[in-house]
Amino acid sequence: MKTRNVLGSLLVAIALLAMAPGAAMAGTGDVDPDAKCLKCHSKNMKKKLEDGETLSLHVDADPFSTSVHRVIGCTGCHRDVTKGKHPSREPISSHRDYTLERNDTCRQCHAAKYTAYKGSVHASLVAEGNDKAPVCSDCHSAHAIQAQAVYEPVSGEPCSACHEAIYDAYAQSVHGLARTNGNVIREAHIKAPICADCHRAHDITAVASNSYLKNTCLDCHDGAAVAHEKWLPNASMHLSSVACAACHSPMADRRVDLQLYDNLKQVPVVQQDGEGEYQARLDEIDATGDGLDSVELWKLVRQGSRQGQATDVTLRGRMEVSTGVEAHRLAPRSEAVRSCDSCHQGGANGFQNVTVSITTPDGRKQRFNADKKVLSSVVSVDSVGDFYAPGGTRIRLLDGLLLLALVGGLAIPVGHIALGKYLRRKNNRNS
Amino acid sequence: MTTTAMNNPTQPRQHAKVYLHPLPVRLWHWLNALGFVLLIVTGVQIRYVDLFGLMSFEAAVRLHNWTGFAVIANWFLWFIYYLFSERVTNYHPDLDPVSFFQRYFRQAGYYSWGYFQGEERPHKVQPQDKFNPMQKLTYQFVMFISAPVTFLTGLMMWDVERFGGLISMVGGIRVVNTVHVLMFILFVMFITTHVYMGFLGKKPSSHYKEMITGYEEPH
Repeated sequence: MKTRNVLGSLLVAIALLAMAPGAAMAGTGDVDPDAKCLKCHSKNMKKKLEDGETLSLHVDADPFSTSVHRVIGCTGCHRDVTKGKHPSREPISSHRDYTLERNDTCRQCHAAKYTAYKGSVHASLVAEGNDKAPVCSDCHSAHAIQAQAVYEPVSGEPCSACHEAIYDAYAQSVHGLARTNGNVIREAHIKAPICADCHRAHDITAVASNSYLKNTCLDCHDGAAVAHEKWLPNASMHLSSVACAACHSPMADRRVDLQLYDNLKQVPVVQQDGEGEYQARLDEIDATGDGLDSVELWKLVRQGSRQGQATDVTLRGRMEVSTGVEAHRLAPRSEAVRSCDSCHQGGANGFQNVTVSITTPDGRKQRFNADKKVLSSVVSVDSVGDFYAPGGTRIRLLDGLLLLALVGGLAIPVGHIALGKYLRRKNNRNS
Repeated sequence: MTTTAMNNPTQPRQHAKVYLHPLPVRLWHWLNALGFVLLIVTGVQIRYVDLFGLMSFEAAVRLHNWTGFAVIANWFLWFIYYLFSERVTNYHPDLDPVSFFQRYFRQAGYYSWGYFQGEERPHKVQPQDKFNPMQKLTYQFVMFISAPVTFLTGLMMWDVERFGGLISMVGGIRVVNTVHVLMFILFVMFITTHVYMGFLGKKPSSHYKEMITGYEEPH
């Protein structure tokens, strides 16, 4: 497969070389056309944009000369530049617009990668108009494009440029430390993962997708499921309703996320009309805006069932860490949470924060705050029917009933003995 | 001795010992009692780790599960014994509800008045009719409804994957747990009352002795 890719790349490169004006000129003994470009663009050239900002037209010659794209030359990408035609006079509205426009250029050669990218959460954010969401050149750079091997550094580049805090957490994690220490894990030489190994490089899925990341962990830790079954009751259920990081990032703050789920279709409920759809519903249900209480949550679930988007809506609960940074602070196995009491008791850390989430079409979750009491209310029997942690999310009304039963159970003998004493005293008095 | 009993020569002699509780029933009863105590203690420990520290959550879950299976097996011992015994009539429903509830309230009246006046018990104990109406209704409910429902919900929680379909059918794991806990609450009430009622024989030890020897103590 790899040989085929290399061969394919070579053919593309040869084809591009043949097409590039520079190739023709080289045959005629003309100077390197890139040198012609760099004659101007290695200088500190700038262009005034329509939004008032300035676009640097400077290209650093050294990195470009060592980039993998050197072989196709400037016009390999800038095909609109030909001899006698230069688009310098065409107006550019903004830096971002220019970047987005040029992004399509990559597709001409990297169609498969480009298609994968278009299905990613990054592309989804771009489509939403997020001006910080990355396009090809944000990760690969515009002119200093390096070989794939360069994108496996311990520095976390290019991901760390945007996800710096997450990268810092990763760098100190069992994975990050193993990577910097020469990939030595448990005294064996095992290649520790970098960002793209878990999140993929181009078709990056929303990390909130419950099953995706668990499966990613199990791809490498293929014995983990069996290992958990040896000591953990209901291991399979735990693996599906507790995020790996909730135990393997032991110092993390945890929370419970209640995802709206269609039981009939066995898929998360996806909001179709943009993020505003559920926000509007919640504004109506939770008029005070102080987070959903148990009755408001029940109304949300019932309403979801009624409005025809799904016929059997419920909330699927999952224990997870509260931030992406915490999710990357993975500790060695010996430090993972193993004590059941960590979760299975009243007041446990994980049950103090509760969110309700609705899945967006690209797989992300739009979260809303909920009162932690939604997990211990009697109403939860209906609305949160599929999530229960013995001890941790016990229904308070049942605690009251148990107390009543104990008092009642003791009151019967005490009352009966008292009645006996009263009747005997009465009989003695009468006799 | 009541006037009725003295005038009726067919009435069994009060002091003749009647074999009320055969060995399988006594074995089942005391194993069940031990099992129930263990289930209640471990159940409370599972539910209230933050309040009680008798054992770890993990140990409580394991002990609860094993005891649960033992109690289920024990229930079948009871069920099979009675299924093939002529004493099964003890659990037969009364087909005349009016008469049954008249006797039920007469028994309740006895416990709240007659018992203290030294009156004769309204229900004459026989090997094939040993339960008074209050006992009969309670034990029918406990043995045919409460216990099986508790076993079933307990099994579902023991392996939520294996019983996933059934759990979904009844409305989710929280429904299952709530029903299990409600049954547990009923058992707590039943056991406290049951232990106390055990002292209401001729002597406080009478019923306990009967449940050990199998023979009815003199009244």
